[in-house]
Amino acid sequence: MIIILVISVMVSISYFIFPSISNAELEQKIFVTHSGAIVKTTGEILDPIYSVQTVDFDPDKFLREFNYGRVSMLEDGRTLREFTIIAEDDKTMEISPGIFYNVWTFNGTVPGPTIRATEGDIVRIKFINNGNKQHTMHFHGIHPAEMDGVFELVGPRGGQFTYEFEAGPVGVHPYHCHMMPLEEHIAHGLYGVFIVDPKEGRAPADEMVMVLNGFDTDFDKENNFYAANSIPFYYEHHPIQINTNQLIRVYVVNMVEFDPINNFHLHGNLYYYYPTGTNTVPSTYTDMITLSQTERGIMEFQYTYPGKYLFHAHKVEFSEKGWVGIFLVKENLENSTKGVKYGT
Amino acid sequence: MELRGKISKGKLVASGVIPFAFVILLIVYLFGSSGNLLDVGVSLPEVTIEKIDFVDGEIQATVRNTGHIPVEVAMADVNDRIQSAAIEPDRFLNRFETALVRIPFDWNKSEPYTIGITTADGVRFEKEIKAATEALKPSGELVGYFAIIGTYIGIIPIMIGLLWLPFIKRISKAKYNFFLAITVGLLLFLGIDAIKEATEVSAKFLAGSFNGILLIATVVILSFLGLYYSGNKLVKRADASPYAKPVALGLMIAIGIGLHNFGEGLAIGAAVGLGEVAFSTFLLVGFALHNTSEGFAIAAPMAKGKPMIGKLVGMGLIAGTPAIFGAWIGGFAYSPFTAIMFLSIGSGAIFQVAMAILGWIRKEDDKFLASASVVAGIATGMLIMYITSILV
Repeated sequence: MIIILVISVMVSISYFIFPSISNAELEQKIFVTHSGAIVKTTGEILDPIYSVQTVDFDPDKFLREFNYGRVSMLEDGRTLREFTIIAEDDKTMEISPGIFYNVWTFNGTVPGPTIRATEGDIVRIKFINNGNKQHTMHFHGIHPAEMDGVFELVGPRGGQFTYEFEAGPVGVHPYHCHMMPLEEHIAHGLYGVFIVDPKEGRAPADEMVMVLNGFDTDFDKENNFYAANSIPFYYEHHPIQINTNQLIRVYVVNMVEFDPINNFHLHGNLYYYYPTGTNTVPSTYTDMITLSQTERGIMEFQYTYPGKYLFHAHKVEFSEKGWVGIFLVKENLENSTKGVKYGT
Repeated sequence: MELRGKISKGKLVASGVIPFAFVILLIVYLFGSSGNLLDVGVSLPEVTIEKIDFVDGEIQATVRNTGHIPVEVAMADVNDRIQSAAIEPDRFLNRFETALVRIPFDWNKSEPYTIGITTADGVRFEKEIKAATEALKPSGELVGYFAIIGTYIGIIPIMIGLLWLPFIKRISKAKYNFFLAITVGLLLFLGIDAIKEATEVSAKFLAGSFNGILLIATVVILSFLGLYYSGNKLVKRADASPYAKPVALGLMIAIGIGLHNFGEGLAIGAAVGLGEVAFSTFLLVGFALHNTSEGFAIAAPMAKGKPMIGKLVGMGLIAGTPAIFGAWIGGFAYSPFTAIMFLSIGSGAIFQVAMAILGWIRKEDDKFLASASVVAGIATGMLIMYITSILV
């Protein structure tokens, strides 16, 4: 009797314990991986790498979007550029397909808007903090101490502060919240890019901004995701279209927290690198540079041959967690040197 | 009179049921009307990766929601590098629900891998496999292989141990009690060993929400009680004939050891299946030495009865064969839960048998635990087991 009871209890428990196997005939989905492996499944596909994404943030738009502000002329003839930046810290952003993270934002996105001015312009930023914590805006560059965004805490819930300074020096700089604990405020997404153009301008080029960043979604002080412009693997399946024989200028800013370094490797080409963009002479001609926190610079290059070219962190761990993209280089018929076509 | 009896019976039932009614009321109240009543603290998601199989060009992870809230699986990774994957039947897991995550991956044999699962809120759970080996598929060859292992660790050593029977038969009563006490020592050790093994399996494979240690305690005690009850009946019936009692006791020991060996077989089969053990000759020798004492444990009480070779062999088989079945199940369909259940049942059974033998010694020897031979016997038994266990 007891044995029967024990057996029946065991059977019922093991039924509950063993994974249930469904006999239902479900439609099979076929799923081909990058390496060509084919998986047939009746279930769902978890594919942050190769499938088209439907996240809120649009890295394509961010890539080539520069904000010059509301422009007016001051009495002394200088240009005034006015911006309004609103900080929030209660948004949830889909930072990778199906993964949701509480981002802290400048104007609703990570990274915040790319602010662009010419050397000598007056930049006036009306900063409104609608978040539930105190925040600031700290620009890298030259400005008076009280405009440094460190000791003048703003907010929360509607606090305001106006940052005003003369744009300079020429180059590409980060801006970020400097509220303590700083690592937390940066890791949650309160950063963006500030570009100062030289008065004489730079050579015409197809310009783009890449903020190298990461997200530590499980708060273990290690990033779970890396990317150029927030969304892992985005430019891999939405390649950035450029043309052959056209100057490409990339403003690169490394905002990755937790990891001491990040880097940028370009395939099938080399680039001229201008550290911090402060000099008109490149420091090196290479296909690989290494960047520490908030290290940044300008890269200039042009492709001779059309096709698909990867760019990624050569710290491969980062690229396998999302910091990888593709330049889709198209034949530029106007400037074509009519060279020999390589490949098939 | 009858009416009063009925009324008091009704009262009795009512007084038994009323508390239940209140418990149900309480549950309904807490769940229903005021869901926010206890909305303090944060319920954290928890996903446990229960099993990882390495098949041709694919890593398969069986995941279970072992937390208190439903979870949504969003991503899989291998060695903390993001991978595309398929999840069957779907990515939404309710409490205790399982899914199979299939990651196409060209894995390398005998390299370590860590498989990670990330839920929609970005929390990552992982499980490490020390050395990847192709998941075992039941084949004639493997079935035979496991049968041989089971025979070597179960049947053969026990049969050898039984050969002590003629020796035990010829010795004096005091010495006989010494050997019976050795059996008690052996059994106590085996019982504790099974609990230890069950605890290890629970710590390694079972999600915290199953309360592994409490499960083991519950099953050990239930098994002890169940066998005590049925064993007593068996012995009482056997009391009718003077020769049947040793047989009954021997049978109980054989059943207890059989359950234990089933658990041991499960553990060995699983270890081979999971690629954790390369089954070496050395290990076989260790198990064989260790388990020979099990045969002795059966032989000792049987020595008092008539020589019955057939029955003795039967008991050896009852005690030894389960190791083969255990190895098959452990190798081909391992479930940590089943392993823990059998190890615990075996442990309870063995404790019960140890107690039955102690009871027998008490009848034979007035001094019982104060007798030198009994104390020395128990100590010797445990020491033998400990020393041979080092070989395993």
